[in-house]
Order: sequence, then C-alpha cells, then structure tokens
Amino acid sequence: MDSDLLDRTYHVILTSWVESARAPHFTDVARALRVSPDEARRRLHAVIATGLPNWLFPDTDLIASFAPFHALPTPYRVSVDGRSGWHAQCGFESVAVGWLFPGREVRIDATCLDCGDPLSVAMRDGVIVTEEPHGVVAYVDIPFRDWRPNLPYA
Amino acid sequence: MHLFRSEEHASRWEGFRSEHAAGLLTLAQLRDIMATPFMRERLNGRYVSEAVGYRRAFLERLREVTGNDAFWHPASR
Repeated sequence: MDSDLLDRTYHVILTSWVESARAPHFTDVARALRVSPDEARRRLHAVIATGLPNWLFPDTDLIASFAPFHALPTPYRVSVDGRSGWHAQCGFESVAVGWLFPGREVRIDATCLDCGDPLSVAMRDGVIVTEEPHGVVAYVDIPFRDWRPNLPYA
Repeated sequence: MHLFRSEEHASRWEGFRSEHAAGLLTLAQLRDIMATPFMRERLNGRYVSEAVGYRRAFLERLREVTGNDAFWHPASR
C-alpha cells in the first residue's frame, strides 16, 4: 500500500484515540478519511502489518492496542489535565503518552504488582513533574529480542 | 513492562527473574529511552514513512541508556 495512505490512516487512528480516549472502529476511520468502510478496513490491516507495536484482537478488525494506547483497561490509567479515560499499552509506553499531549500534564496512575499499593507519575513534555512514591522503577522479564512475538506480555 | 514502587518491590515480585535483572530500569532511564522521535513524532503525519529511521535512533538510545547490555539487544534480522 502507498506510504502516504499508511501515514494518513495511522494519523487518523492515533488522533482519534487522543481526542476520544477510545480505540476507533474502522468505520470511524472511514468517515475521517472519506473512504468506504471496506477500504478503511483494508487500510487498518495494512497499518497493523507494518510491524509497529500495534495489534488487533485475534481474528477481528478491532484495534486491541496502538502504541502508546491500549483498548483494554491495563494497570496504566492515564489522565490529561484531570480528564481520565485512556490506558497505556504498558508501563514502558505509559511515559510516552505525554508526547501526544504537548504542554499538558499527563498523569499515570498504576498499582505496584508486588504490594498492590498505588503509584503515580505526572509528566509534562517529557519532564517528570511528580513521582509518588519517589523511586518508581520499571521492570520487564522478557529480553528485548523476544518482544515481537510476545508484545502483549512485554 | 511494569512499574513498581521501588527496586525492592520489583525484585520481590513473583515475576522477577534474577537472570533478567537487567530488565530493571529507573524511571529516569525509562523516560530517556522513551524520548526519541520513535515516540515523539507519532502525530507528525509522516510517521509510518519515517518509522525506520526513528526506530534506528530508538535502538541507539536504548543501547546508550542500558550500557549495551545483551538483555536489551534487538532481535537479529
């Protein structure tokens, strides 16, 4: 597929998610691109096939995850200037969400998998504004070379 | 990739594997890894076309921040 079409489709999907805090359906993509639903569905699959960290629910046309967002309620709840509703794809991508909201405070609320206590990180334009408690860390037990076949788990 | 309240909490988690301790990052390290154009340029309208170059810069940053630890080496293509 033509790279310009891929760029435009990718852009519509992500901007829609930024604005609405939910995964767009391919019919939403069709409306935004002024193409038929079938054409939008084909373009969606073509974007997913690029190998970027995005995927569909198996055997469907429904977006499951599109970095840095996830359609399911992951432990990484995101709010922007106090408005909630987004979920980050994983802890890794949670700190990248802020790049989609320039100049705004993006807060990540999560739960420590060890103790179950809350933790939160607020960022603005790549700067850590607050961190509760101080000393938050990230951990992944899957080597980076193995992430591709294990994306939902990495 | 999960977030924990501290290194102590992460290393106590049942999913922690000491042989993969290199998978532990500070929040500052994570922020630095996730601050390349691979993440910053997602809304520029040309992202898919330029993603190969962005990925290259991301891998370079990943190598720098993790001290080129083998745990963080990409899959060979």
